[in-house]
Amino acid sequence: MEHELLKIKNDASSLIIAAEDEQELNQIKLDFLGKSGKLTQLVKEIKNVPEERRPEIGRLANEILASVEDLVETKLNELRGRKRAAVKKQILDITLPGKKPQAGHLHLITQAIEEISEIFEHIGFTRVRYPEVEWDWYAFGSLNFSENHPARDDWETFFIDAEPDPRMGPMILTPHTSSGQVREMERRKPPIKMLNIAKCYRRQSDISHTQMFHQFEGMAIGDGVSIADLKGTFDFFVHSYFGKNRKSRLRPFHFQFTEPSVEIDVSCGVCNGRGCRLCKGGWLELGGGGMIHPEVLRNGGVDPKKYSGFAFGWGVERVLMMKEGLELDDLRILYSNRLDFLEQF
Amino acid sequence: MNIRILDSWLREYLKTSASPQKIAECMSLASVSIEKLESSGGDWIYDIEVTTNRPDLMSVVGLAREGAAVLPQFGIEAKFNAPKFEKPNVDKKLVPTNSIPARSRTETTVGKIEITNDSKLVNRICAVALEINLGKSPQKVSRRIESSDIRSLNNAVDVTNYVMREIGHPVHVFDYDKLAKTGKLIIRESKKGEKIQTLDEKEYVLAGGDIVADDGTGRIIDLLGVMGTLNSAVDDNTKRVLLFVDNNNPVRIRKTSMSLAIRSEAATLNEKGADPEIAYGAVLRGVELLEEIADGKMISEVLDIYPNKPKSISVTISEQKINAIVGTDIPLKTSKKILEDLGFQTNIIDSNIKAKVPSWRLNDVQIEEDLIEEIVRIYGYQKLPSRIPAFETGEPFSLATNQFYWERTVKDALKFFGFTEVYTYSMFSEDLLEVSTDDAVTIRNPLDSDHVYMRTSLVPSLLEAVRENKGRIELKLFELANVYIKKQKNLPDEKLKLAGIYKSSTSLVLDKNPKASFLDVKGIIEALLEDLGISAFEFKPTESGAFGAAIYIGKDSLGEIEQLEEDLIDFEFDFETILKYATLKKVYKPISKFPESIEDLRFEIDETIPYEKIVRNIREQSNLIKDVSLLDIFQNKKTFRIIYQSYEKNLTNEDLTNLREKITSVLKSKFKAEPA
Repeated sequence: MEHELLKIKNDASSLIIAAEDEQELNQIKLDFLGKSGKLTQLVKEIKNVPEERRPEIGRLANEILASVEDLVETKLNELRGRKRAAVKKQILDITLPGKKPQAGHLHLITQAIEEISEIFEHIGFTRVRYPEVEWDWYAFGSLNFSENHPARDDWETFFIDAEPDPRMGPMILTPHTSSGQVREMERRKPPIKMLNIAKCYRRQSDISHTQMFHQFEGMAIGDGVSIADLKGTFDFFVHSYFGKNRKSRLRPFHFQFTEPSVEIDVSCGVCNGRGCRLCKGGWLELGGGGMIHPEVLRNGGVDPKKYSGFAFGWGVERVLMMKEGLELDDLRILYSNRLDFLEQF
Repeated sequence: MNIRILDSWLREYLKTSASPQKIAECMSLASVSIEKLESSGGDWIYDIEVTTNRPDLMSVVGLAREGAAVLPQFGIEAKFNAPKFEKPNVDKKLVPTNSIPARSRTETTVGKIEITNDSKLVNRICAVALEINLGKSPQKVSRRIESSDIRSLNNAVDVTNYVMREIGHPVHVFDYDKLAKTGKLIIRESKKGEKIQTLDEKEYVLAGGDIVADDGTGRIIDLLGVMGTLNSAVDDNTKRVLLFVDNNNPVRIRKTSMSLAIRSEAATLNEKGADPEIAYGAVLRGVELLEEIADGKMISEVLDIYPNKPKSISVTISEQKINAIVGTDIPLKTSKKILEDLGFQTNIIDSNIKAKVPSWRLNDVQIEEDLIEEIVRIYGYQKLPSRIPAFETGEPFSLATNQFYWERTVKDALKFFGFTEVYTYSMFSEDLLEVSTDDAVTIRNPLDSDHVYMRTSLVPSLLEAVRENKGRIELKLFELANVYIKKQKNLPDEKLKLAGIYKSSTSLVLDKNPKASFLDVKGIIEALLEDLGISAFEFKPTESGAFGAAIYIGKDSLGEIEQLEEDLIDFEFDFETILKYATLKKVYKPISKFPESIEDLRFEIDETIPYEKIVRNIREQSNLIKDVSLLDIFQNKKTFRIIYQSYEKNLTNEDLTNLREKITSVLKSKFKAEPA
C-alpha cells in the first residue's frame, strides 16, 4: 500500500511537471484526484489496511494528497504566468485600426423624435400618432379656421383628388400635427396629456422648407389648466432639450385654434443671448402654442366651462437645427438619401 | 407680415422717453415681435413682424397705440398722440360745377366722375379730386417710405404709400383726367379672360370674380385693392388726381392676389381686412399731405359711399375667469386700464368687465378668451408663474403592446445589423408607382411631378436611394414609414411598413465582403424576429412570383424578401403583423444537469430536398436531439452539427451510436442519403 501510494505520487508528479497547458493539467487532476481518480480510489482502500498500520498509512496518504494538490496548484500558476508572459512578447501596434462590429446609423429625425418623446413622457405625456391623409375637419374646420382662411388655399395645402365628405370636407395631407387635437379628445376624456409626433406636408420647397416635415404636438386638458402650466411645460422642455442655461420667453402671437396664443423663443446657444447673425437679438424662435380655443374644445366634445387646456406644435427639424447648431445650408438634404450625409450622425 | 418703420415717425404718435432699444424689447414681449433694430442716419428702423390678425398694426398709428399701452406696464411713461383730421374746406371756385349738369350730381359723384358701387364687392369708397403740382417728394416723406421698403416715385404716389403706412389703410390715386373721359367708374366683378395691364406695365389675364372698375365702356380701369392699371395711372403729365380709398371684400382680394401672383402691399393689407372706419381719415390725411407737398387743391367734395358699416361688438368677462386662465391674480382695475389703453370702451359691473371692441379689432376680438389675451399679453407673460401640470392621466402603459417601443426596438436592431435609416418622401412620381394611377391616393395640386402619388410601397424609394449612392460598394438601408392604400369614400389605410435593401458587390480584388445573398438577408430577418420574441415564422415561396421568399407568422403574411439583382436584395414587411406577434414574454426552460454531446455528420443528399425537411426528419428521431444546425454545405454534401442532451443521465457511447444509426437510416430510406 505504502509502495503503491508513493508510485502514484511519482507518476502524478512527473505528469504534472510535464503538463504543457491548462487543459492537460486538468485532465491529470481528474485522473488522479477526481471522483474515480487513481489516488482517490487508492485512498478508499485504506480501510482494508490492518488496523495497527492504518494511522500511519492514512497520514502518508493525506500528505501525498496534499502534495499532489499543491503541485497542481503551483503548476497551474506557472502555466498561467507563462501564457501571460507569452502575450507580452507579441508585437502590438495599438494604432492599427480596430475590428469594429458593423453598425449603421439612425436618421437624425429619429434621434430627435426619441429624445423629444423621452422628455415629454417624463412628465406624463402619452405618445400617439394620427392620420397623415386627413379630413379638412380635423386639420382646419374643428380648429376654428374660417372658411376662407389662407391655409385652406390650394397654394398652401396639398389636396387629395377625392370627393369631399359631406361632413368632414375635402381630403388633404395634414399640414400640422394639430389635426390630432380633436382626434385625441375623441379618443379619451380629460384629463389628457398627449404628445403627437407625425409627418406633415405643406406646399413649399426651398432651402429652409421641405414638402414633408415633422412636427410634435403637445396637448394637456384638465380641470383649471392655465397659462402658468403652459409656461412650466415649455420651460421644462427648453431646459431638458437645450440645457439648463438656456432661457425662454413667451411672446404674443396669433393662431386660429388657441386663445390666447403665444410664440416661444429660446435664448441663442451660440451667442448666449447677446445677439449674433444666427439669431434675432439673442433669441431663436422655437414655435407656437396657446390655450386651446373654446370652440376647439367643444368640437372635441369637451365642455370649455368645465375644462381648459393648452397645446403647442413645434417642428422636429427646427428644434434639431436649433439644438445642434447644425447650420445645414439646405434643409432638403435631410430627405435626400446621401449616405455621405446620413453616416455623419 | 413684416413692416419697417422709422423711430422718428413712430414718435410723432407715441410720446415717450423710452429708448428705441427699450421700445423694441417691451413691444416684443407684449405686442409685436421687433425682429431687428437698425441704426440709420441718426435715426432707427424697427423691423417688425405683425401677425395676420392684426392688420391694424401694419401702421405707425396702430403701433403707437400699442406702444402707449405696453410701456406703462414696464414702468415707462408713454402717451398715444391720436391723429385728428379736420374736414378741409373746398374752394368753390375750383369745383368745376359747370362741367356737370346740376341734376346729375348725386351722392355718388366726385367732381365729374360718377361712381357706381357694388356692395357685395366693396364695403366703402372715400374719394376726392385734387389739382396738384406733380413732382418729387420732400426728403422727409421719401425717406420715411423708403425706410419702409417702398420706392419713392412722385409726390402723388408717395402720399398714397405714406398714408397707408401711417394710418394703415391702402390708398390709390388715379389720373383724374383719364377717368373724366367717360366720367364713369363702375365697380363690378371681372369676367374670365379679361385682360389688364397693371401700372408696372405687366399684362395679366383675369380668372373672373376679381374686383375691377369699369369706365362704362367695358374697359377695366382698376384692379381694386391689388394694383392700379396703367390706363388710369398717374404719369408725368398728370395735373389732377382722384385720391381713392376702397375698402374691399378680403376674400376676393386674396384670390386675385394669389392667382395673379401680385403680392402688393395693398393686397397684403386688404386681404387681411383693413378697417373701413379709418378710410375717411385716410383720405383726409392724403389731402393734408398733398396740400403740403404737392400744392394740392381740392376740386371736389369728399365722397363717402359706405354700404357695409360693421356692427359693434361688446364682450363681458369676469375677474374669476381671467385669473383661472392666466394662472395668477390680475386686479380688475389693471385689466380695465389695459383694455382702455388699447382702445376698448369699458365698464366694470360687479366683478365683470364689459368691453366695447374698437372698430380696428372687430375681426379679431369676439369672445372672452380674446379679451383675456389682450389683458395677459399687455400685463406681461414674464410676470406669470411657471409650473408643470401636476395631474396624471392615469392611462395604463403597457410596454409589450406599445407600438413606439417596438418601432424603436426594430430600428435599433437594424442599426446594429449595419443598416442605415433613410427618410424618403411619402409621395412620388408616376414612374415609381407600383399600382395603376387610379388605385393610388393622388395629390390634386402637387408642387412638382416628382411628388404626386402617395406611395403604396417603400421599396421604389429605397431603390432610388441606391441610385443616389451609386459609387458605394456596400449599401444597407432601411425605412419605417407609412404606405397609403386607397379606399372608397374614406381616408386611405395608412399602413406602417418596414422595408430595407441590401446591396453588396465585390468589384475590388481586395474586398473581403462577399456579394449580398438571399441568405444574408434571410439571416438578418431571422435574427430580427427572434429579437422581437417571434419564433414561429416560416419562409415560403412567394405568391407574387418574386424571386425570393414570403414570410409567414402563423397564418399571417409578414411580407417578402426579393432578390432583384445578383447582388441586390430588398424586403418589405407589414409592421402591424410584427406588432401582433412581438412579445416580451419570457419562458424558462430548466438547464440539464448532464453535459451535451456534439457530433458532426456529413451526408451526400439530393440538393433539391429542402434543408428544413431534412432537419425535421432528423429531429423526429429522438427527443434527445437538442439541436440540429447546418455546419457546411458543398455541392450535394451537407454537414450537420447535432447536439444531444438528456435531462436524466449522461449519454453513453452506446446511446450515441444508436442515435447516429437512426439518423443515418431515416435519411437513407427517405432521401437516399449516404454518409459521406
